[in-house]
Amino acid sequence: MSDRILQLDRVSKRFRKKTAVNDVSFAVERGQITGFLGPNGAGKSTSLRMSLGILTPDSGSVSLFGGPPRASALDRVGFLPEERGLYRRMKVIDVIVFFARLKGVEPGEARRRGLKMLDEFELGHAAHQKVKELSKGMAQKVQIISTLIHQPEFIILDEPFSGLDPVNQKSLERIVKAQADAGRTLLFSTHVMEHAERLCDKIILIANGNKIFDGTVTEALGEVPRRVILETGCETDLTALLARFGAVREDANTPDGNRAWSIELAAGADAQDVLKACVDAGVKLARFEPVRAHLHDAFVHMVESHGQTREETV
Amino acid sequence: MRSIYLIARREYLSYVATWGFWLSLASVPMFMALGLGLPILIESSQPTRHYVLVDETGGELETAIAERLRATALARQAEALEAVGEMVGDNPQLQATLEANMPDPDAEADFQRVHSFEDTSIDALRPYLTGESLMMTEEGEQPLFAAIYLRRTGDAIEMDYWSTNLTNSGLRSQIRRALSDYMRAGRLMQEGVSLEVLNAADGLRPEVRELNPERADTAAEVTSAERLPFFVAVAVAFGLWVIIFSVVNMLLTAMIEEKGNKVLEMMLSSARHHEILTGKLFGVAAVSFTLLLVWGSISMIGGALFQTAASAAGLPIADIMSSLLDPGLILPALGYFIIGYFVYGAVFLAIGSLCETLQDAQTLMSPIMLVMMVPLFLVTVALDSPDSPVIAIASWVPVWTPFLMLARLPQDPPMIEIIGSTALMIFTAIVVIWGAGRLFRMGALNQANQETVKNWFRFGRKKTTG
Repeated sequence: MSDRILQLDRVSKRFRKKTAVNDVSFAVERGQITGFLGPNGAGKSTSLRMSLGILTPDSGSVSLFGGPPRASALDRVGFLPEERGLYRRMKVIDVIVFFARLKGVEPGEARRRGLKMLDEFELGHAAHQKVKELSKGMAQKVQIISTLIHQPEFIILDEPFSGLDPVNQKSLERIVKAQADAGRTLLFSTHVMEHAERLCDKIILIANGNKIFDGTVTEALGEVPRRVILETGCETDLTALLARFGAVREDANTPDGNRAWSIELAAGADAQDVLKACVDAGVKLARFEPVRAHLHDAFVHMVESHGQTREETV
Repeated sequence: MRSIYLIARREYLSYVATWGFWLSLASVPMFMALGLGLPILIESSQPTRHYVLVDETGGELETAIAERLRATALARQAEALEAVGEMVGDNPQLQATLEANMPDPDAEADFQRVHSFEDTSIDALRPYLTGESLMMTEEGEQPLFAAIYLRRTGDAIEMDYWSTNLTNSGLRSQIRRALSDYMRAGRLMQEGVSLEVLNAADGLRPEVRELNPERADTAAEVTSAERLPFFVAVAVAFGLWVIIFSVVNMLLTAMIEEKGNKVLEMMLSSARHHEILTGKLFGVAAVSFTLLLVWGSISMIGGALFQTAASAAGLPIADIMSSLLDPGLILPALGYFIIGYFVYGAVFLAIGSLCETLQDAQTLMSPIMLVMMVPLFLVTVALDSPDSPVIAIASWVPVWTPFLMLARLPQDPPMIEIIGSTALMIFTAIVVIWGAGRLFRMGALNQANQETVKNWFRFGRKKTTG
């Protein structure tokens, strides 16, 4: 069995004069949670639609389960689109059974699974309510159940956290982890980095239709310079002392009168070396804080760098 | 196929579960019953109207009017008997029964003269005419409908007609005609024409026969029953138009609702766009077939019972029913319905997929509605001129063929026209469904909207640059 569930190879898609996706290649490995990140309008949804054969690429190729994304392959995929909704006048359980049957689940089994999942999602009481009677959070849970009801091997979630309150976001994170623990492969797009950082084994970053990063979260964090923040009670200018470790910037004085500095560490420089230099120079430190980079910083850094590169290229 | 079936099933059940469906189901038999029963109800609930006639000439005119009104009522009964005779054919027994049971023309008149007023001056009758006072009748207390005063001045006759009812001219016209006939007869008799000659002249009528030159002389006469298929075909064409556009409107509104609910992309992850389109078309087609099946069954059962009864009575009306239930009309109607539905249904679904609201859809619907209205007008023309070259040419326009060719069928148009126009219509249906499918996909994925379509038709406009 191939370990590669999805493979996009040099895929491009244009809509009239706009290039939505430009020569993008990436792969999704079996059993992994892959984050598909990018700002709004980056081409994420178009890429996901091409992955499922909903859209046909202008050039390049898509391989889903080792072949072109045929309709038969969709039964093995659970897709939660960004633009999602349900039949408002149908009963909750009937909607779930309908989507399950579209994926090839027998009616009786679909109903049994649907009721079980509703209970697991604490929506058992709403099984026979109409969808229009549900709150937004409840409706999103029903959409997720409809996506997972046929126990797909490969789950694609397009902006699954959008519109959810923090409690439901946490709940969805648990669902994603549970699906991964059950051996399923997940690909989800988001522009909220915290979720990706907590959940993903691998991330793919896309901006303006171009892939700008493909690797692990650790590798992504390695792309962003590390920083150190320090504060001193003395009047001594530390610029010269700190300059050898990277780019130094003096920040505004703190409310208690301390002078504040931040250093963007150069490659090879270490926060411990900065601390040692300060101690050796007799600097009285009021604060010394190596700042841990977040995926958000890496994301912003890479998107901005890509933007600059594009401008320079142009 | 699974997806098409499931989508069609869901569509079907979603309609069948609504009140609107059951109302539609009940509406046709209900309207048929109303259509038949309402005029009878109105007629039977109409109270007899009472009037006072004051003949100031001493009775000469009122006698003439009474005779004339009675003669008119008898003539109307004779016409009715003649019409029944034409419908049911030569059946002396039935004819005799009807004649024996004809009501008394005096008792059954819509307007009854009253003689109960001692003072017949207008001042005395005015309160009864205005409804301030009521008179006792067999049907209870009622106002007086009219007061008529007749007088003679030389050769001229004058009539004063008092009534608060300005719109109902029945009584006024009857009396005017009676007086006019009386004056005409009087004048002719003054000129020496005898009463016998006068009556004989009034009874003169031409004998008119309609003949079909395509038949042998002995069987050339055209009966009312033979004309019926033309009217039936036009009525069926009208019905087809109404049914198709009622049903495709259901598709449009459902599609817009689905677009608004953002269900389409969820669906696209489970089924291809052409499966969704086809499933929806089949689902709503099943709804309309259910309606047609129920309506058709009611009509067929009613028709069959009527036909059996008519056959048992030996009435040629059974032949008329046979022409109504003619497979030569029903089967083409069914075929034209299917193709017409798929063509217009696919277009309406595509429009629905481009629009978020009904207001959006109205912009795109306007030109399509205009195209759709044309056969409705042409079918009306076909009623008078089924052989019109305009109808013949227009029936080749594929989107009009279902209605116009159906209306032309009883005239036996050339087979080449039937086959050619039908083939063209099927080819157009395939092209339209294919194009609508592409548009549907773009609309479903928000890659096109009503503005996109409008832009396609903005020919010759110069682009402005900012």
